Amino acid sequence: MILTEEQQLFHDAMTNFFSEHASIDALRRLREESPTTAFDREVWADLVELGLSGIVVPEEHGGLNFGWLGLGAIAGASGRHLAPTPLLSHVVLAQELLLNCGSTGQIAEHLPMLLSGEEMWTVAIDGDRYFHGGDDSVVELSNTLSGRKVLVPEGATADRILLPVRRSDGRLGVVVLSAQAEGVNIEATRMMDGRQYANITIEKLDASAGEWLEGSSLERGWELTLNRSMVVLAAEMVGSARELLERTVRFLSEREQFGVKLATFQALQHRCAKLYCELELAESVVLAALSAIDQGASEIAAQASLAKAMANDCLTLISSEAVQLHGGMGVTDEMDIGLFLKRSRVTNQLLGTSEWHRERFAGLAGF
Amino acid sequence: MSIQGLTPTPVTLPQYQTMTETHDLEEFRLQLRSWLETNCPPSQRKAVVQSEQIWGGRRRQFPSDDARAWFEACRDRGFTAPDWPAEYGGAGLSDDEARVLKKEMKQLGCRPPLYDQGLWMLGPALLVYGTEEQKREHLTAIARGEIRWAQGYSEPGAGSDLASLKTRAEDDGDCFVVNGTKIWTTKADEADWIFCLVRTNDQAPKQQGISFLLIDMESEGVSTSPIPLISGESEFCQTFFDNVRVPKKNLVGELHRGWAVAKELLKHERKMMATVGEMTEKPSLSLIDLARQCVGAEEGGALGSTALRDRMARHLMREQAIERLVERIFLQGKAGQSDARLPLLMKYLGTSEIQTKDELVLELLGVEGLSMEDPSISESNRKMVKQWAFDKALTIAGGTSEIQLNIIAKRALGMPSVDEKS
Repeated sequence: MILTEEQQLFHDAMTNFFSEHASIDALRRLREESPTTAFDREVWADLVELGLSGIVVPEEHGGLNFGWLGLGAIAGASGRHLAPTPLLSHVVLAQELLLNCGSTGQIAEHLPMLLSGEEMWTVAIDGDRYFHGGDDSVVELSNTLSGRKVLVPEGATADRILLPVRRSDGRLGVVVLSAQAEGVNIEATRMMDGRQYANITIEKLDASAGEWLEGSSLERGWELTLNRSMVVLAAEMVGSARELLERTVRFLSEREQFGVKLATFQALQHRCAKLYCELELAESVVLAALSAIDQGASEIAAQASLAKAMANDCLTLISSEAVQLHGGMGVTDEMDIGLFLKRSRVTNQLLGTSEWHRERFAGLAGF
Repeated sequence: MSIQGLTPTPVTLPQYQTMTETHDLEEFRLQLRSWLETNCPPSQRKAVVQSEQIWGGRRRQFPSDDARAWFEACRDRGFTAPDWPAEYGGAGLSDDEARVLKKEMKQLGCRPPLYDQGLWMLGPALLVYGTEEQKREHLTAIARGEIRWAQGYSEPGAGSDLASLKTRAEDDGDCFVVNGTKIWTTKADEADWIFCLVRTNDQAPKQQGISFLLIDMESEGVSTSPIPLISGESEFCQTFFDNVRVPKKNLVGELHRGWAVAKELLKHERKMMATVGEMTEKPSLSLIDLARQCVGAEEGGALGSTALRDRMARHLMREQAIERLVERIFLQGKAGQSDARLPLLMKYLGTSEIQTKDELVLELLGVEGLSMEDPSISESNRKMVKQWAFDKALTIAGGTSEIQLNIIAKRALGMPSVDEKS
């Protein structure tokens, strides 16, 4: 649960980079653009140059093998800055899914282009209103694929989309689709976090139009990818929560009413102290889950659910309280607080709400 | 925290040299396991019930021969106080070794070999502030279970505002003469000695006129009176001091500087209270099994009610999160990267979560959770009801939750002190 010196240095370098090149101002600019823009290509190229794409990829596949704790710290830094980068969609979801579900040959063929940023990939997870851990929203019937996926992160900018499909034999398949393929309709949207998502409709697409991943254990690889992604997203969320609480305490320490600083009021102190408790609990479960992945734990579903549920609850609470404690300024667009609030509600739905995770946790614990 | 008053400890050979010198924790673990398997009788490996806890002291009575054997084996190896230096009755274990011991004992289900407030609270403070003579006299007696301690902090007029305490100790040559009363003195009627905060200067600002005294309960003028609680038990007493003469050698730390000792001790009290769940009587059923039994379960063990499942998961997940936080604090310390803010959270979080669990249990019990006496209700169920009532004290004793939140706001978040406002 403790970062190595190298991980700490890398984290510091990334924090500097985010604050200079991918800060909240960058997000403010992005949200003004047409939904077809998902992120700043130059910033992404610099991040690739810094090694971000290969951070958890094993060395034999051309990565840095720098550890999940290191990746989590960087996700936290990106959460602090609301950095609009394809970290989750490309580096975590897509690369992991390729690594966990692809054959050796497929990994060797595609991964270098993902690591170099030459190609952008994403994963289309769910088609329903809520996250279900992957669903049957795209099915194969007599060699054609049909269905719909929603909330695909950076889905209208990606060159290829990894699509889970319920095959005609009932098993899970993962197909790599070109965004240009006939029968793939991609509609770009911008959600309230200012980031790009896509709704993807597949209509009678020839099942041989894409390349099917051929790894030995698809179900397991799919689960593993989702679980790991949940943990990284939770790390990002805890980073946002920490930034919000720090900003809120700073605000209360400066703002005066009734002739005293707001921070002298015990009612407000206790609220902040409770928020801080929630923050450190969430951080602790996230660090534990990241360490478990680093230590090669074979089963991390319960830990991933613990991390995502705690991060959801922590960030939902802290972002709402941050708005309230900033008073009137909290509901202005001028303040960044509202941007964190909106991002928090999107990340809350991405990869599962707390209710879903608690239900899964209960199932895993046998009750 | 200042470490003034820390006297250098003379170098003596630890009792188990091979154990403390080995860097091979795994070897240590194996050695320990076989020692525990040999020395911990099977009856001492079952969840401890209150009546079978081993308390020390002059009037100590062992609940069974097995309990005595287990206690004596641990005492002789220093395992009653594993991380205390061997010359004071401990085992001189490093933090890592002590953790291995704790883990191995947990694994085998070994009961704590000794319960005592001196062991949990006074001892660690004496290690920092005690004179060599005090350490030799008191630490050894604590670790060997010969003396049982009570704590004399709160007074009827000094609770959360502890520093306003009024029990006086007046200088009378080679003694102090103590007058006043202490409240919430846990099991004072069974204790041999009591460590007290007393006022030695009423002219100075309130925290700077307090001293830390060790008082033999057999001294003339000491009396106790038990206080019945909502749990039907009477864990606590009020203790009265009427012209009690206390030798000056029983002053810990400097005169008027007892607050520093108290703060050191309070850290250990809060740590202890945060882990109180590990030391108290375990319910015979896990929460999950209790829920299955009370509300019924589907085949495979799932509870019928989604709402209950969600509430249980919420609690169990927080419980795990608190464990992860404890682990994180430990690993930070080991790596020399301690974040001093984190331990401040433990008492508030740990005790609140125990109460959350108690409320869940009480509700699950339904009508069987509404009496501590009804003989038609099983003893184990009545015990859970008593536990619910008893645990209400956890968020009050040792610094209320409100005080904990004050401390977190001030020391972790840098918000102004509540005292500074007034």
